[in-house]
Amino acid sequence: MDQAQAIFFAFQVWCNIGAIIALVFLTIGIDRIDEDAQGAYVFRLLLIPGILLVWPLVLWRWFILETKRDVWKNRHQPPRHAHFWVAIIFAITIPAVIIIGLSVRQTWPTNFEPQKLSLLQEQSQ
Amino acid sequence: MSVKYIPVQWNNNKWKYNAVMLASVFAYLWLFIFVTPDLMSNEGRINGQVHNARAFGSCAFLMLSVILCIGPLARLDKRFLPLLYNRRHFGVITAFVAITHAGYILNWYFAFSPSNKYEALLFSNTSYGQLSGFPFEVFGIFALFCLVILAATSHDFWLKFLTPRIWKRIHYLIYAAYIAVVAHVSFGILQDQQNHTFTLIFIVVAGIVAILHLMAALHERKHGDPFPSISDDWVKVCETSEMQEGFAKIAQLTQKERVAVFLHEGKLSAISNACAHQNGPLGEGKIIRCLVTCPWHGFQYDVTNGSSPAPFTEKVPTYNLKLEGTSILVNRNANAPGTFVEPLPMETMGVAK
Repeated sequence: MDQAQAIFFAFQVWCNIGAIIALVFLTIGIDRIDEDAQGAYVFRLLLIPGILLVWPLVLWRWFILETKRDVWKNRHQPPRHAHFWVAIIFAITIPAVIIIGLSVRQTWPTNFEPQKLSLLQEQSQ
Repeated sequence: MSVKYIPVQWNNNKWKYNAVMLASVFAYLWLFIFVTPDLMSNEGRINGQVHNARAFGSCAFLMLSVILCIGPLARLDKRFLPLLYNRRHFGVITAFVAITHAGYILNWYFAFSPSNKYEALLFSNTSYGQLSGFPFEVFGIFALFCLVILAATSHDFWLKFLTPRIWKRIHYLIYAAYIAVVAHVSFGILQDQQNHTFTLIFIVVAGIVAILHLMAALHERKHGDPFPSISDDWVKVCETSEMQEGFAKIAQLTQKERVAVFLHEGKLSAISNACAHQNGPLGEGKIIRCLVTCPWHGFQYDVTNGSSPAPFTEKVPTYNLKLEGTSILVNRNANAPGTFVEPLPMETMGVAK
């Protein structure tokens, strides 16, 4: 339970940091790095969930664009060469997962009679 | 196309696409919940909350499967390309359906826990050391996070801000999400399912997704764009006799870079094959009213300078061309996006600059 609390707390902290970054980026940063955003405000609300989740990426790209380090060639080189192996691994993994899942499925004998394993006072719910 | 960002760039095609998609979703939910309540549920009695959770969960699985089938289908047969057009809206709706499924589960199985229901979800089953009884919930949580990240970064702003290359790498998460969904179902409901109608539907649908990806990958490997041997800066694309008015020939310059050489009004021009919007294959599009039109989302570019018509601002790199006999050669060093290159008449010998 402590671990579950820690994971949930870490997630809340992550989102709170994201909220602060979203506030600064959407009010100041976005106008500085994207001319298409200047004078456009309603769409910014749609960006908030994304910034909450991937704020380190937002900070990194903001830094790249602010410091004019963006390499234009990278915008026209899609990662298509990786797609072949992604598709092959994907196609193999799907049936593998289903087979493993079905192989560990437990089927009780038809004449099985349920037996109470714990004493009544030990039952939690 | 972007001029100023707006929340959603609606047009008639998007309205129709979304109307068909939403009608299908409502029809499926209605069928599952009201018409065939026993078809895909356990033989044992289940309450309405669990039944609704299963309706939305199975709906999200089917929607994700359809989304994943669109890409390979479009690569295998161009008649499926229109389905690609508004796939991002499809993905966003799928994320909402999946969130609804998670909501029903949380508000039934974990709502009465003395602790926070989100924490209860995390610690209710911690048998990570065994396959039988493995906490399948963790697969669902992972898949849901992936779907939410994909939906939350689906606006065109993200494409421009992150660059299509990074955006696409993030959106590879959809494959991990689907495998997680398959594991979520296989180690979850299938462990207890007595009525095998859903088991059969699940295996057939997941099998179709896997087979289509395998077929599309092998098709791409066999019929993909040629990768010419490169000895110097000039790369042979094809023979002049292979060119067709209004269409392009594509050649790979590096593992990542492709060029599309178009024939327009008897003259040759070369631009990047990757659309500035989502890196769609411009060379698989055609010239409409003097503008190269991307087959994915209809973004357009002047073939001589790689620029979108005003007031739009998208630009792609251009390339210099020359003819050697009947061979068309392209200079592998791209010009900066928007650079004008004089079109090369097919019968002319020499270098276009």
